[in-house]
Amino acid sequence: MDSFIQAGIIGITLGAQYALLALGFTLIFGILGVINFAHGGFYVLGGYFAYAAVSDAGMPYPIAVLLAVIGTGVLGWLFEVLLVERCVDDHLATMMLTLGLYLVISNAMLIVFGPQSPHFTFPLSGTFRAGAVYVTAANLVVLAVCFVAIGALYILIYRTGLGRALRALADDRGVATAMGMRPRVLFPLAFGVATALAGLTGAIITPILSLSPNVGDPVLVSSFIVVILGGLGSIGGATVAAFIVGIIESYSSVYLGGSAGALVLFVIVLLLLVFRPFGLFGREIRRA
Amino acid sequence: MSKLKAIGVKIGVAASAFVVGIALPGNASAASCGLKIGAIGPLSGPAAEWGLAMVAAAEMAAAEANNKGGLQVGDQKCRVDVVSYDSKYSAEGAAAGANNLASQGIKFIFGPVGAPEMTGIKPVAMRNQILVFGDSYAKNAIGPQWPLVFHLGPGPNVWGPPIIEEAKRRWKIDTVSIIAPNDQGGTDIADVDQQDYEKQGVKVRLEYYQRGTTDFSPIITRVLSSHPDAVDTASSPPGDAGVIVKQLRQAGFQGPIGRLGGPGTDEIERIVGGIEILKNFYWYESTPTDDPNVRELSVLFTKETGKPVPQGTSFWQWVPEARLLLAAISKAGTITNPAKVAEALRTLPVQDPNLGQGLWTGKKFFGINQEISFPFGIGIIVDGKIQNVITHPAAEN
Repeated sequence: MDSFIQAGIIGITLGAQYALLALGFTLIFGILGVINFAHGGFYVLGGYFAYAAVSDAGMPYPIAVLLAVIGTGVLGWLFEVLLVERCVDDHLATMMLTLGLYLVISNAMLIVFGPQSPHFTFPLSGTFRAGAVYVTAANLVVLAVCFVAIGALYILIYRTGLGRALRALADDRGVATAMGMRPRVLFPLAFGVATALAGLTGAIITPILSLSPNVGDPVLVSSFIVVILGGLGSIGGATVAAFIVGIIESYSSVYLGGSAGALVLFVIVLLLLVFRPFGLFGREIRRA
Repeated sequence: MSKLKAIGVKIGVAASAFVVGIALPGNASAASCGLKIGAIGPLSGPAAEWGLAMVAAAEMAAAEANNKGGLQVGDQKCRVDVVSYDSKYSAEGAAAGANNLASQGIKFIFGPVGAPEMTGIKPVAMRNQILVFGDSYAKNAIGPQWPLVFHLGPGPNVWGPPIIEEAKRRWKIDTVSIIAPNDQGGTDIADVDQQDYEKQGVKVRLEYYQRGTTDFSPIITRVLSSHPDAVDTASSPPGDAGVIVKQLRQAGFQGPIGRLGGPGTDEIERIVGGIEILKNFYWYESTPTDDPNVRELSVLFTKETGKPVPQGTSFWQWVPEARLLLAAISKAGTITNPAKVAEALRTLPVQDPNLGQGLWTGKKFFGINQEISFPFGIGIIVDGKIQNVITHPAAEN
């Protein structure tokens, strides 16, 4: 019974990590229609921003996280303005561009910080226990940040004028532009918010797991699975799918083993997509 | 202004060195031929520590030769250059690297370091007649069917038993869970580790994970549900092993954690957050790292190459093999005929100024005597305090 409860807790904490990872990814697709292969790169950048701020500049960790969010947000905004904007409607070009950016980011981190994992640990080391069931303080923080980020993004997209403008652009750019929405201003803003989310995720998750220039690879895969399952472009779908993926992964790994767990996850996602080809919240693609 | 002055001085020094380098007859310009050695291994990712050590060893042997005016090959002095390639610890990466080096006409490859890479590289090496001097604990790392493939150091069937014996002497270990990746780099080693433990009466439970896993919490929960006395991270790369150890301790596991699968304790300690969290830990050191002669290699590396020594301890194991490879090329008197170099290599004695006396082995396990065995070490941490590394003499495989 303890293992069953523990698997549930782990599933929720994994789900929170995946949700944070997938939010920015799905936001960019939902608003701009761009599949951002550089998402894992901004996650890595966020981790290194926070690490450098803590270890080199001696800043407190919360300030370091804030810097990581701002830094990755600004870089994402710049990237959109300078490069993505020029070919935003060309799917193939944006894929190549973002994939190239990911390689640039990971190689830059490799050159600057070296290939090995630095000493970067979460400042809270406590673990809450009840018998054999436990949850680390760090995972609780991730969970809290995840819910705050989801809430903030939801309010931004569905409860503000800016969000309405972004959704209008996503729905019909021609009409929205005729109504006075300016994609050249709003697209970079959306891109910056999404990359800031990736940076936030990297800054809070890499000290819990590990940080190195290549940790963005599995992040991209997880984000992809989550947003495809949730329905590309749907914020609600990505959130729900993230927790489904986390829980499936946890229970299958605990009860079937690490190898079978990964396999079961892919099989279930495949089956779900057979019956719901547009993902669980596929209809939302048109709306988000 | 002072910064500008400093930059000016540096440019002046560099320019002078360049002019002197051209003018002096005895240096690199003395080399009348060029020998390129390929170095393939993981230069990024969780196993990067191992790959970087391997490349550094090749660079050091090359620098040793070049600083003497080049490697004597027949009547020529050859300048040795190392061409490295990041295989990312994968079979396809290593195969791509070998093809890349083959297209450059390179006939000697140093590395790779892992079983998946070794599997990927061998067919390409055979096809292109390339001599490979790699590391891997795979059960088929070398063999009579690959006469140009040489092997660095025996696997866990040789060094596992004394390490387990030492760990059992210090801690009560009746059951152990082994955690390893679910590819050849994990399964081959975990399987041999299992036999090593079971021969000493320890019950074993194997747990495999998908390579690329970042959060090991579910696997840790599964492992701890069987209440093992010890957990062994086997050949999990140091980056993965660090997260596994951290999450084991967070989950409340108090027992000893073993590592019968390769060095990397420094990186594990960095990820975990300190030696006090490692607490009770035992592992395979590829060399007796407390030996001053072995440690001297780090000083020599900086002296020969002018670079800081790479992190980790596996660099010390690779240097004698790199020296041996160049010695064999020199003895064979050819840089284009790997078969002749392999023939020379088999006849060279295994004797290194830093690692001491070693031996050729491998016949019993692999069916071919193309493996180098040097003395190795047993690392132990007890209650967060590191103990002296125990030296074990070179052993037959």
